[in-house]
Amino acid sequence: MAHIVIDENRCKSCFICLSTCPKGLIKKSDKVSKLGDNLVEFVDNAGECVGCAMCAKRCPDMAIVEVHR
Amino acid sequence: MEETKQLLKGNYAIAQAAINAGCECYFGYPITPQTEIGEYLSEKMYELNRGYVCAESELAAINMVIGAVSTGAKAMTSSSSCAVALMQEALSYACSDELPVVLVNVMRAGPGLGYIYPAQGDYNQTVYGGGNGDYKLTVLAPSTVQECIDLTYKAFYLAQKYRNPTVLLADGLLGQMMEPAVFGEYPYPEIDNSSWALTGAKGRAGRRIRSLAPDENEQIIHVEKLFEKYEIIANETTEWEEFGCEDADVILVAFGSMTRNIKAAMRVLRKEGLKVGVFRPITLSPFPDKRLNELADKCEKFIVVEMNMGQMIRDVKLAVNGKSSVDLINRPVGQWLSVEEITDGVKKIVLEKIHAGV
Amino acid sequence: MQVFKIPNSIKKGSMYTFCSGCDHGIAVRLAAELIDELNLKEKTICTTSIGCSVFLYDFLDVDCIEAPHGRAMAEATGVKRARPDKFVFTYQGDGDFASIGLAESTHAALRGENLTGICINNTTYGMTGGQLGPTTILGQKTTTSPMGRFKETYGYPVKIAEHIALCEGTAYSARVALDTITHINEAKKALKKAYQVQLDGLGYGFVEILSTCPTNWKMTPEEAHERVRNELIPVFPLGVYKDITA
Repeated sequence: MAHIVIDENRCKSCFICLSTCPKGLIKKSDKVSKLGDNLVEFVDNAGECVGCAMCAKRCPDMAIVEVHR
Repeated sequence: MEETKQLLKGNYAIAQAAINAGCECYFGYPITPQTEIGEYLSEKMYELNRGYVCAESELAAINMVIGAVSTGAKAMTSSSSCAVALMQEALSYACSDELPVVLVNVMRAGPGLGYIYPAQGDYNQTVYGGGNGDYKLTVLAPSTVQECIDLTYKAFYLAQKYRNPTVLLADGLLGQMMEPAVFGEYPYPEIDNSSWALTGAKGRAGRRIRSLAPDENEQIIHVEKLFEKYEIIANETTEWEEFGCEDADVILVAFGSMTRNIKAAMRVLRKEGLKVGVFRPITLSPFPDKRLNELADKCEKFIVVEMNMGQMIRDVKLAVNGKSSVDLINRPVGQWLSVEEITDGVKKIVLEKIHAGV
Repeated sequence: MQVFKIPNSIKKGSMYTFCSGCDHGIAVRLAAELIDELNLKEKTICTTSIGCSVFLYDFLDVDCIEAPHGRAMAEATGVKRARPDKFVFTYQGDGDFASIGLAESTHAALRGENLTGICINNTTYGMTGGQLGPTTILGQKTTTSPMGRFKETYGYPVKIAEHIALCEGTAYSARVALDTITHINEAKKALKKAYQVQLDGLGYGFVEILSTCPTNWKMTPEEAHERVRNELIPVFPLGVYKDITA
């Protein structure tokens, strides 16, 4: 099933991915990064992700380390 | 068969010696009095299918050398005083990066643009460095056209062996004069640089040649390591020439082309009964300070002769460390000091000292 | 099927030290992906520059040499002339490439050196805290143009891709941006072309990448991308300015 893997150590909470995902599957998380800001999480309960990898391509920190289709 | 002597101009001698030493790339920008080096090499390097670029500036030229030597190639540039000033930043980088850069400086008069007369005003710029931070170049000073060849060979070897930028510090006099000389073959072994050169990350991690040291400790360790190396260079490569210093009452000290006339002055003065010796550092950095200090145990008077306002004299004073008097015979620019000017100068200084009771 | 991963030529375990939302990260990734795709890792020598771009060698697992400020193209020329079989590229900011290093950049292009130049244009000196740079646009406020860049005092910004395209030794010159997926894809195509002209021995390949500096622009990453679209692209139009293979 299509999904992404987020490396929370790489994430710098720029939130570009939030507006990039066409399905809105990436959300702010309650977890806080070591830099002190909210992390993001991938929530896809309905299996909507198609693995387009747009989030990974726009993430400036390669924090979306894997995309599977 | 023994090679016959040729009548050679200093600049051409240096250029051909660089080719014989295996220089794979030359990058340069014209400036009198060393332009013949670039002119000669433009044709020869093309014939030999080696690298040659007429650089857009001296800044670019020295950095092209850095790029080329970082791959393990032998490369050099040549320039003169006010343009070598432009290269100081890169020399500081090359020292920190431990790169075997070879630079030929055929000195002219200064400060500022000065003029194309020979001079020795770059002693401080070269030995003490015009770049930032703690570093030392290796500096060789030829006094004849033959030495322009021999020390060019040596400059390539020392640069490679110790991975330290090495400067051949000649002047307009040597660059422009003709003398008989022989090239011979490059007499030194080739140095293996496979442990550090940039050759592409094949079967190993990518290498970095960098001087950025964001970590304070890293910076301290790096500079200390460099200075340990400079110590080794000093122990292994310090070179000088001396004549008649053992029994001398007065020792004349000069480097480069000024050595020629102090030798003649020594002969004249000895005939007149004054026991004069000659001391000539061949490596200006490392400086032969230990030997000068030994000589100062026996000789009370040192006179430094140089074509500047007195630059090497400070190193001589540091070396003799107060044991002997150190005086200066000099002319800041242009024509070198004649034998007569030197002998007159020596006599004047010696007489003054006698009158003063020292 | 895995459709995205961190490129092999990115050093394992390395973390970008760029600010949050900075497009440098995307540019480095694209450069690395192409090194992988064109199988260049074992023959690449990169010269980095001074500024935020200096950290490239902390992330890329290829041979790198750091050039003094502005001298990356000179060092790259030296590397390439000594080792013509290597793939040599520079990664520079606009200050490095087009201000202090404009002579080196221009003359490398004029000589038609077989080199690839990547220039990140974020219209400011990022590392030192956002001063007026060669590409700061008219009206833009920086710490050294607090009233905004007005032409009477500060002059005009340099159009780098157009300038390099004018050099006869240039084989390829383009300007791209990283603000949208489409632009990122186009950026990668342009970079590939700039790599390829070098590999084919055709001359100088150059890509100017419009990038963001959210920290010094005092914007969120999203606002910064809006600025690229609304303010920068009208001044620095995207496109291919020279392509001798076209």
